[in-house]
Amino acid sequence: MASEKKPVLGSAMVIGGCGFLGHHVVRLLLRDYECSSVSVIDLRCGRNRRPDSDGVKYFEADITDAAKLEKIFTETRPDVVIHTASPAAQSNDSVSHALFKKVNVDGTAAVIKACQATGVKALVYTSSASVMSDNKSDLVNADERWPVIRGKEQSEYYSETKAAAEELVLKANRAPEAPKLLTCSIRPSGIVGEGDTMAIYHMINIYRQGRTGVQVGDGNNLFDFTYVENVAHGHLLAARALLLTANSSTIPLDNERVDGEAFIITNDSPVYFWDFCRAVWAAAGSPYGTDHVKVLPRGLGLVLGFLSEVFFGIIRKPPTFNRQRIVYSCMTRYYDISKAKKRLGYKPLVPLDEGVRRSVKWTLDQEKEKNN
Amino acid sequence: MVSAKQALYFLLHPNELRAIAQWKVWHEPVHRRDVTKETPTEKSCFHFLDLTSRSFSAVIQELNPELLMPICLFYLALRGLDTIEDDMTIDIKEKEPLLRNFHNLMEQDGWTFDKNGPNEKDRELLVHFDDVIFELKKVKPEYYAIIKDITEKMGNGMADYALNAEHMNVGVNTIEEYELYCHYVAGLVGEGLTRLFVESQLANPQLMVRMDLTESMGQFLQKVNIIRDVHEDWVDKRRFWPKEIWSKHVDNWDDLFAPENREKALQCSSEMVLNALKHAEECLFYMAGIRDQSVFNFVAIPQSMAIATLDLVFRNPAIFEKNVKITKGDACALMTESTQNLRVVCDVFKRYARRIHKKNDPRDPNFLAISAQCGKIEQFIESIFPTQDPKKIKAEKMANVEGAGMETMEAFFLIISAVSTLLLIGGLMVGIAWYMGARFDHVLKDLDAKLAGTYTKSIVSAVPTTIAHEEL
Repeated sequence: MASEKKPVLGSAMVIGGCGFLGHHVVRLLLRDYECSSVSVIDLRCGRNRRPDSDGVKYFEADITDAAKLEKIFTETRPDVVIHTASPAAQSNDSVSHALFKKVNVDGTAAVIKACQATGVKALVYTSSASVMSDNKSDLVNADERWPVIRGKEQSEYYSETKAAAEELVLKANRAPEAPKLLTCSIRPSGIVGEGDTMAIYHMINIYRQGRTGVQVGDGNNLFDFTYVENVAHGHLLAARALLLTANSSTIPLDNERVDGEAFIITNDSPVYFWDFCRAVWAAAGSPYGTDHVKVLPRGLGLVLGFLSEVFFGIIRKPPTFNRQRIVYSCMTRYYDISKAKKRLGYKPLVPLDEGVRRSVKWTLDQEKEKNN
Repeated sequence: MVSAKQALYFLLHPNELRAIAQWKVWHEPVHRRDVTKETPTEKSCFHFLDLTSRSFSAVIQELNPELLMPICLFYLALRGLDTIEDDMTIDIKEKEPLLRNFHNLMEQDGWTFDKNGPNEKDRELLVHFDDVIFELKKVKPEYYAIIKDITEKMGNGMADYALNAEHMNVGVNTIEEYELYCHYVAGLVGEGLTRLFVESQLANPQLMVRMDLTESMGQFLQKVNIIRDVHEDWVDKRRFWPKEIWSKHVDNWDDLFAPENREKALQCSSEMVLNALKHAEECLFYMAGIRDQSVFNFVAIPQSMAIATLDLVFRNPAIFEKNVKITKGDACALMTESTQNLRVVCDVFKRYARRIHKKNDPRDPNFLAISAQCGKIEQFIESIFPTQDPKKIKAEKMANVEGAGMETMEAFFLIISAVSTLLLIGGLMVGIAWYMGARFDHVLKDLDAKLAGTYTKSIVSAVPTTIAHEEL
């Protein structure tokens, strides 16, 4: 990429640019693209901040504050907006539900409005591959033709709000309010990488607590994890494609279209769920093979999960172990990303094993820093 | 004869015995050679085919008559070349022109070759090569051209390797060299076969456009053999494992066989397995292009054996100590499965991919890459034979959303109709009974008495009687 001329993206704005995914998007913008300016909006801009020499402009704002958003947009005049902001999907209580709704749905609506009001050409929204899952049925090599699970069928409220926001974003494509605004949505599956404080962190904890010796289910369930840089890469390919469409006079053919479309992004490398955990444990220093592993049948796991839920219900604490976790660890959930490969020219930049190595190293380094 | 040891083995492994019986009894060849119509030279060719090939002879003889003779002769021509190349008693000065010229020699009527050393196992084939030449002349010109072309390419490749002192003495260095070697010994054969299949219209012409699929077929088979035969080759002072791979795990080639380095050797062999496994999807893709059952069997049997062998050698320390081989029972089961259709062969690949995944060790540096490759094989199979249909899933979800109300309504009507049917029939019965003169007033009186408690005693006393009666 160094010898070639970098593709042009004009003035770029990353919403949530200090977040886990967002700051990688900023990094790739600076590394792989030619931008007239890069700006970031985030709730707080202290963490994951580029050095001043990179010239990234940081704005602190709550995206549900439509007036402030529009003011920043008027000032920075972005051509391309990458909207990655979203609260962590961890908790599942009524307070976090309200937050999901507020940030994911209302916030996204405000972002769309600001884009429409200030002549933005391209909006790329970070959705989630979980919008296609009902959190109990398998998804086997699923692609974008699979239905988005909404309402009663969708047991995770987080996914419901991500799907609702995606719908808003895709509806805004060539909408009457601003026919020039082109939009698309990226659905990543299982993001891991530097800055991730969820998946890898939890898995390392399981190793620390000496719980690597149990496997729930037969271990043949494939799952898609995606290294964060590849997800960021997918976003920027989409942004670039939208800009090209915006600058061309014709509407692309249906089977080449990027605007108004959703794209699943993975590492194109589904792995057995438990193998992924074991790879993380090995990278974190686990000396174990698989000889010590005992298989817990899924049904028994569900019973134990239920008992744990009851127990924690009695002592009135959120359960550390529940049925949904059992279901997730036995679920087959992997995707076919032919559409992104064909229409965006997407190909993962970093293979999964390298991604795991980097993610685990980052997590361990973070800990060391904290302890020093 | 079955030895006592074998008998005991099959007693402990009845499934294997069953698989052998199943293959022997139930396998019905798609085509059978018609021995009665064969000329003496044809018979002679099949005799040498039996003599020189353990694994291919049977499947070749079951081929579609259109390709039966061409492929048999193609095999014998290459085997002839091989017999010259292998023979270390022939001086390189004499060997090189023989190899480079073999495609012309096999056009000379009556040409034979008797300068092979007495111990060369297939020397008889070349001593009677005039029979092969006689039959080659009868092959359709378009097939003959293919056989000649590949024989020429292969002869030149063999000559190059024979002259290459480095290859002969040191072995293969880079992965690129390794794959080039596999191309010469297996990829080229594949190319010839694919051209024959397409020429005879027994395979999809697209296979000619995607020659990379053919290449994968050959690479996969050859790499599996090279991994499996590592010990035998080591004893014979030959090395085909590329230095680029083994040098990551041990300093010297011989170290790989030292018992104290077993774990390193296993990790090295895992990397070799991973390198071979990357061809599996393309092999399945290739087989999807075959249009004739006999040709399908011909290509699928070796592929199934190869994936099973890969599972056998994966993380198996025995490969550094002795020759390992899949058991006869497994081989028969695989042959039965490989002579059905692509779906069954895909199931075989999936089964072995999962077995490899199960044996994978997290401490292996290529652990996740191997897991991902097994996943890729499963994903590829899903792409040809999907288990989920988005249209059906969509319809189900729709039915669940809209259907919730409908279902309760349906249940409601069902209950209503069941209850009313009961009431109707019950009413009719009572009505008919009354019409026939039943005394309902007595029943009602009894009921009154019961409710008042007068009959309680008699009911209680009646119970033991019934039980006593039951006990009889």
